[in-house]
Amino acid sequence: MADSNLRRVETLGGLPPARGTVWVAWFMFFFLIAPSLIIIPMSFGDLNEIYFPPRSLSLFLYREYFFESVWMETTFQSIKVAILSTMAGMFLGATAAYGIVRATFRGKKMLGALLLSPLFVPNIVIALGLYIYFARMGLQGTTFCLVLGHTLFVTPFVMVVVMAALRGVDPNLEAAAKTMGAGRIYTFRRVTLPLLRPALVTGGLFAFLMSFDELVISFFLSGFGTQTLPVKMYDSIVLEISPVLSAISVLLTLLAFVICVIITIFYNPDRRTRLRLTGEAETETKTTET
Amino acid sequence: MFFVTPFLIYMGIVFFIPVGLILFTGFVSEETGQFTFEYFQAFFTQGLYLRVLWTTIEVSFMGALIVLLCGYPIAYYLAKQPPKRRMYLSLFVLLPFYTSILVKSFAFVVILGHSGAVNWLLRFFLGEDFGVQLLYNRIGVMFGIVHDMLPFIVFPILVNLLAQNPALHRAAEIMGASRTRIFWQVTFPLSLPGIFAGILLVVVRVMGQFVTPSLLGGRTDIMMANLVDFHVNDVLDWNMAAVISILLAVMAGVFLVALARLRGAQIFGAET
Repeated sequence: MADSNLRRVETLGGLPPARGTVWVAWFMFFFLIAPSLIIIPMSFGDLNEIYFPPRSLSLFLYREYFFESVWMETTFQSIKVAILSTMAGMFLGATAAYGIVRATFRGKKMLGALLLSPLFVPNIVIALGLYIYFARMGLQGTTFCLVLGHTLFVTPFVMVVVMAALRGVDPNLEAAAKTMGAGRIYTFRRVTLPLLRPALVTGGLFAFLMSFDELVISFFLSGFGTQTLPVKMYDSIVLEISPVLSAISVLLTLLAFVICVIITIFYNPDRRTRLRLTGEAETETKTTET
Repeated sequence: MFFVTPFLIYMGIVFFIPVGLILFTGFVSEETGQFTFEYFQAFFTQGLYLRVLWTTIEVSFMGALIVLLCGYPIAYYLAKQPPKRRMYLSLFVLLPFYTSILVKSFAFVVILGHSGAVNWLLRFFLGEDFGVQLLYNRIGVMFGIVHDMLPFIVFPILVNLLAQNPALHRAAEIMGASRTRIFWQVTFPLSLPGIFAGILLVVVRVMGQFVTPSLLGGRTDIMMANLVDFHVNDVLDWNMAAVISILLAVMAGVFLVALARLRGAQIFGAET
């Protein structure tokens, strides 16, 4: 494991890639980035028409987004659902990851796979299950069940990130705290969690974005008045293709870009992270000594 | 075990019971309350359903193949870069991964649509009444899927390429092998586990796709997930919706088992 981590930082050996490969790679980079670029000129376009290139430039579409109540309402609904499910997901994900990684009992691999299983089930299946479930209980269409569904969706992602980070945390630190008389919850809260801060930031931001952008579960579970932004966007693309969508798309891409850069900086599964973690661990133990 | 309890209880209530309900709805007759295969029989005896099933499989595998052809050069190029430059360049792949699928679908409507960017370019160069139908058909679906799935194939292959022992390439070089020969006889065969992992990951994800076929595809590009939506929201037939999602989950499960069995498979390499 340590060996593969060492190699991961290096570069594939041999000659530099052929010119043809370089061209293909850069063409694909362009293809990957093109959708994010195309919406920028479109977002400064004018009223009620999708036409490339836009005929005149204005901030009309942004004003439309910020001052039309439907778009703002759905945006706030999305933020609300995303914050609540991220908080719940971080609690459930971090505790579950800790329980699995530090477990000593047999069958912990099975249990881990079981807890991560929502990752492997297509979202539409989860959405249908929750739809039937909540409909039978008469809860369908409430914000509460949206949050429940989103929490189920984001928790495994938090778990994966925290599990990876936990493997780099020295269990002896926790053992030391325990010999000095700290209980297991106290140890987790005061020793492990602070060491996991980068992973928690990463997992939390990722969970927030996943929930904020989630469509399928929201599409099945939301009702009149509890629509999230992606559901409203979906309806808009199906029904009318409103030009306001391009302004919203630019804003959402900016959000994705910021979160993507933060995560790329924070989360680096190379040994550098490991060094940083152990470095922090040292300062942490020093402060607790004094 | 103590720390696992909260999420385990949560999953029991919000995951296992709903999954059980789907099974119940798909296998238990509404009239008699008995175990039955009648809904599955209804699925497999109707041409429409079988066609959608076929479309789903076809789009998944065709998509995975195109994604591989487009993604391998990216992974290879990234693997050849020094670490710092690689980190910056991989933002090209990461940004679309973090972007909402709705933003991407909307952008493709703008790019591929009748008055979109591609057709504008064509008209610019080839004359006023030129135009190609790129949207609301299989081409549109493929564009959307390839774009959406590229990160899922690039990262497993990249991880594999970076884990390859550089000494092997140096040895081949010293013995006088050409670049092409080194690639096809050393690099490529060694990267096969990464390729298979990536392909299976893409196939599993495409099978459950809902947004892309719905927004970029036409009437004949409907996939299983859209059929679930149709039965829940339009014809209110929960039994058939349950049957379709059971089939979808089983299909995904088969590929996931294959994925888990692949040595060196990195399921999470692309997720985080």
